[in-house]
Amino acid sequence: MRFQNRFLFFALAVALLALPLGVKSDVVLTILVFSWLQGMLAVSFNLIFGFTGQLTMFHAAAFGIAGYATHLSMQHLGVGYWTGTVLAALFVSVLSIIVGTICFRFRLKEFYFAIVTLAFSEMARLTVLNWNSVTNGTLGINLQEKPWLFGFKVNDTVSWYYLSLVALAVTLLVCSRLVHSWMGRCFSAIRLNDELGDTLGINVFRYKLAAFVAGNFIAAVTGSLYAYYLGSLEPGFLSIDQSLGIVAMVLLGGRSSVFAPVVGAVLLTALPHLIHFSAEVRSIVYGSILILTILVMPQGIYGSIAALLRKRHAS
Amino acid sequence: MLLEVRKLTKRFGGLTAVADVSFGISKGEIVGIFGPNGSGKTTLLNLVAGLMPPTEGGVLWKSVPIQGLPAHEVAASGLVKTFQNPQLFAELTVLEHLHIAAHLELKRRLGWRRLATLVRPDLAQAGHERAAQIVRICRLEASRDRLAAEISYGEEKMLGVAMALMCEPELLLLDEPASGLGAGEIENLEAVLRDLKAQGTTLCIIDHKVGFLGRLADRAIGLHHGAKIAEGAPDEVLRNPDVVMAYLGHSRDRI
Ligand SMILES: Nc1ncnc2c1ncn2[C@@H]1O[C@H](COP(=O)(O)OP(=O)(O)O)[C@@H](O)[C@H]1O
Ligand SMILES: [Mg+2]
Repeated sequence: MRFQNRFLFFALAVALLALPLGVKSDVVLTILVFSWLQGMLAVSFNLIFGFTGQLTMFHAAAFGIAGYATHLSMQHLGVGYWTGTVLAALFVSVLSIIVGTICFRFRLKEFYFAIVTLAFSEMARLTVLNWNSVTNGTLGINLQEKPWLFGFKVNDTVSWYYLSLVALAVTLLVCSRLVHSWMGRCFSAIRLNDELGDTLGINVFRYKLAAFVAGNFIAAVTGSLYAYYLGSLEPGFLSIDQSLGIVAMVLLGGRSSVFAPVVGAVLLTALPHLIHFSAEVRSIVYGSILILTILVMPQGIYGSIAALLRKRHAS
Repeated sequence: MLLEVRKLTKRFGGLTAVADVSFGISKGEIVGIFGPNGSGKTTLLNLVAGLMPPTEGGVLWKSVPIQGLPAHEVAASGLVKTFQNPQLFAELTVLEHLHIAAHLELKRRLGWRRLATLVRPDLAQAGHERAAQIVRICRLEASRDRLAAEISYGEEKMLGVAMALMCEPELLLLDEPASGLGAGEIENLEAVLRDLKAQGTTLCIIDHKVGFLGRLADRAIGLHHGAKIAEGAPDEVLRNPDVVMAYLGHSRDRI
């Protein structure tokens, strides 16, 4: 089984790396770049939601703020793209520590945690929307610069394909290391029974905060990549729709494994391009898919298939 | 004196759950606390473990007051308690429970260096060996890989003890570990607790009857309506007229 997994993993990796050699369609590659970036967002969200049990609505804020913060530090501090991204991720981490400390000190859980993080997220969005002199308000900002990597300018779709794929792979590796470590066990304890975890000596506050900050840090890096790939920034990055979209990807893909949310991210990113709906119909289709998933396969697509394979294997 | 309880009182509104209770526990002792249902045993234990602020009085753990400390700090200081109704992580196996409970051991052994295990998982190995050893001590080998939702009530209670042991307690507080167990399971529990005593762990065990405590405890404390009504050698306490009165209405062998 382990060997098979390894083999599958390598086959998938090689296929994904070789893909741009065969697929020349810019549209397909573009969809995949967005899928990988949305995948990073979903995987990092799931670190907080699926593994630590905290339904955060701050993820879109972390994602959007980082885009703006990268741009602003490049513009005002004269740093390059990568330094700007690191600064943005650190800034988002500080914000997450503040928001997380407020929520977790007051022991906000479930519904209350979701609502309060949503309120912080909206505060961030309204700030971005109304602080015209800095963010250019509703109009947003055009981003001309592209990142440089090893002397290459990441400009065309194929370079972005590889950059986003590597970023997603690093995200998966980091999250999987975390989840399978002692810290991941603290996350499980918090999700399943935090009172018991507390009496076993686990500092529930500290590890809730650790998961929250780690998840938002990755969301920030994603936001910075996303904005510079897209070449523009607007307050919609921080919207509730964005947060709900992330929740949908995770529920559709599955939340019990590190990798599963990527499946949801790819499907929900690719779907609108495969089938053309008007905006109104699209919301209905999305909503129906979500409701169906929750009712028919609460473990998500990946979880259900994994369970099926396990059953096959056992019999 | 490892633990000193001084004039503890706890009132819930008009109800006095614990009334002016004082006692001490020395290193290596087994102290039994017994009393009928509702006599305030669980409340007393929660006060002792610092999980609840007392209305009056105080608790000294290794000569330091522990009121107001969060539960995880109390546990980290070596004072660990189990729950009367087993508290578990429903989706996890028995062994996974013990791996979670290895947290304090890892923290004590590596301190902040445990962050390095994120890159080098092998450094965390010792906790897993200890888990395997405690599975054996608690006689949970047969259900090691079963989910908490699938094991018997007796095993659930034993798993509670096993997790507490993973925390390397200096004083282990057990809230009615024997209630709800069959005769065979009680024998098993007794053997486990004797092993612990032989290894020098200090124990404070609560039960609603004396039977099983009488054989195990060095000293017994009788509780009734929240107040301490007797203290001494178990068989002496059993003969105490107040204790007999407290259990009146029950036949003698229920005590
Ligand atoms: N949190 C609480 N709020 C109000 N009353 C409580 C609370 N906890 C316990 N009590 C009351 O205190 C008394 C002692 O309870 P408890 O300590 O659970 O007794 P025991 O463990 O000996 O059965 C009971 O009358 C119980 O109803
Ligand atoms: Mg009780």
